[in-house]
Amino acid sequence: MKVLIVDDETLARERLRALLAELPECRVVGEAATGRQALEQAQAQAPDVVLLDIRMPVMDGLEAARHLSGFAQPPAVIFTTAYDRHALEAFEIAALDYLLKPVRKGRLEQALRRARRPERVKLQGLEYDSGARTHICARSRGALQLVAVNDVAYFLADRKYVTVRHTAGEILIEESLRALEEEFGAAFMRIHRNALVAVQRLQGIERDGDGRPLARLTDVEERLEISRRHLPEVRRQLRARG
Amino acid sequence: MNASAESVDASGARSFLPDFCSIRTLLVVLIVAELLAMVLVLGAPAPWDLFWQELGVRSLFIQWVALASVASLCWSRPWLGRLDDRGAGLLSYGIVLAVTVLVSAVALWGGRAVGLDPAGGDALAYVLRHLGVSAVVGAVLLRFLYLGHQQRALVQAQAEARIEALQARIRPHFLFNSMNTIAALIRSRPQRAEAAVEDLADLFRASLSEARGLVPLHQELDMARRYMALEGLRLGERLRVHWDLDQVPGDVLLPPLVLQPLLENAIYHGVEQLPGGGVIGVHGRLTGERLYLQVTNPVPPRSEPAYRGNRMALDNIRERLGLACGRGAGVAVKLEAQCCRVTLTLPRGEAP
Repeated sequence: MKVLIVDDETLARERLRALLAELPECRVVGEAATGRQALEQAQAQAPDVVLLDIRMPVMDGLEAARHLSGFAQPPAVIFTTAYDRHALEAFEIAALDYLLKPVRKGRLEQALRRARRPERVKLQGLEYDSGARTHICARSRGALQLVAVNDVAYFLADRKYVTVRHTAGEILIEESLRALEEEFGAAFMRIHRNALVAVQRLQGIERDGDGRPLARLTDVEERLEISRRHLPEVRRQLRARG
Repeated sequence: MNASAESVDASGARSFLPDFCSIRTLLVVLIVAELLAMVLVLGAPAPWDLFWQELGVRSLFIQWVALASVASLCWSRPWLGRLDDRGAGLLSYGIVLAVTVLVSAVALWGGRAVGLDPAGGDALAYVLRHLGVSAVVGAVLLRFLYLGHQQRALVQAQAEARIEALQARIRPHFLFNSMNTIAALIRSRPQRAEAAVEDLADLFRASLSEARGLVPLHQELDMARRYMALEGLRLGERLRVHWDLDQVPGDVLLPPLVLQPLLENAIYHGVEQLPGGGVIGVHGRLTGERLYLQVTNPVPPRSEPAYRGNRMALDNIRERLGLACGRGAGVAVKLEAQCCRVTLTLPRGEAP
C-alpha cells in the first residue's frame, strides 16, 4: 500500500514515517508540508492512502481533501489532527476516518486496513463548511494545475467550460459560474452574464468602437465586456475605491 | 459585563416568558389561580359558612381567566417570540387584561341570562374590579418571571466566563501538538524529548497555579522562552524569535502569563500559516509610569478571518489585564499589510 504523509511539522511526519516503517505492507511514497504540495505529490505518486493533517499553511487539509476527491482515482484520505473539535464533529457525521495525534500504532493499522476496503467512504459526505477554496484545481491530460484564488483575474464562462485567467496564464474548469460566484462572492463580482472578475483588479471602464463598456483589469491585457445590467454596480465599486 | 450579557443573548436568546403551551406551565398557572381565589375569599368580609360557596364561585371565575389567558398566550406564541423582552412583556400583559375584561363580560351576560346578576347592578365597577386584580397580579407575576430569568442568565454567564478564563490560558492545540512532538523525539533524540517534557511541565504548572499576584518580568520571560522552545521544536526553522527586552529591568512586575497568549496568537495566526515561517519580535520599553510589551509577527496575505479569531483571543487578554491591573492597562492591535503588531500597556508595577 502506497502512503503519502502530509503534515507541516517535520517531527510529526518523522513520527508517522517511523510508525509506518513497522507496518510491513506499507510503503511511504512521499511527504508534503502543505495541501498544495500534497496534491502535487498525489498526482505524481498516485498513493493509495493519504495521511492528511488539517491545519497547514497555504492550503489546509480539508481543502486538499476536497480537491483530491475530484481526482480520477482518488486516494483514501485519513485525516490527522492534534485537536480540532469542529472538524472532528464533521468527520463523525460523515463517518470519515481520522487519527488523533500523537497517533497510536494500533489505530493507524486499523485505519489503513479500513482504507483498503473497496467500499470506503467517499469524501462527498463531508458536509464540513471549510469556506471558500484558496486554490482552483484543474486536471488536463493527466497533469495537475493549481491556481491560487488570489492570482485569479477573472472567470469567463463559455458553453461547457469556465476559463480561469490568472497572473501566469489560463486554465479550464468544469464548474458553473453561479457556484463560483457563491463561493467567492466577496472577492469577485459579476460584470456580465458570463464573467466574474476580481474586485481588487478592477481598474476602470473603457469603450470599444461601438461604445460598449469594457472592464480594464490590472495585469491583464484583455478587456471584458460589461453588461448594461451590471454597469451601475461596477461604477459604484470603482467610485467606492476612489 | 457588557460582553458577557451579549454572549448570553447570542447563545441563549431565550425569552423570559415560559412556554405557555406546555402542560407544566398550565399546571403552575392553575395552582397560582387557585391560590389567588383563596386569598381573595379570605380577604373578603364574608361569613365563614359561605366560605366554600364563595371559593367555588371565585375559583370558577379566576380559573376561566387563567385558562383563557394561557390559551391566548399559547396561541400568540409566534408573535411573542418575535418581540424583545419589553415588547413580549407588554403584549402578554395586554392579553391577560383583555382576557379578564372578556371573561367578566361573559360572566355578566351569562349571569343575567339565567336571572342572576353577579355585578349586583353596577356592571362597570364589576369589570373594573376584576381588571384591577388582574393588573396587579399580572404585573407581579411578570416581574417575578423576569427576575428569575435574569438570575438564571447571570449564573450562566458567570459560569461561561469562568470556563473561558481557564481555557484562555493555554490552547489545547498546544498541549496535544507538544505531546506529538515529544512522541517523535523519544525515538530519535531522547535528550531533547526529556527537556521538552520538563518545559511542558513548567508551563502547565504556571498556567494551573492559582496565584493572582504580580510576578517579576524575568519569570514571565522565562515561561515565554520555554514556550517558544517547545514551539520551536515543533515548527523547526519556521519559527524564529527576536528578543528585544534589554531596556526593561527584569524585576518589573506584571500579571502572570500575559505575554504567552500573545506569542501563542503570533504563532497560531501568523508563523504557522506561512510555509516559510517568519520572525516573531518581542519588544519591551519602560517609561516613568508604564511598561510596554510589543509582539510583532508576519501574517499571510488576506488574513481577515484569522484576524477576527485573533481579536477574540485578545478580548480575553484585555479582560484579564483589566481584572489584574485595573485602568491604565490595555491591548492595542495593528494589522498592517504583512505584519500584526500587538502592544500591551501595563501600569508600572513597583518592585518590592
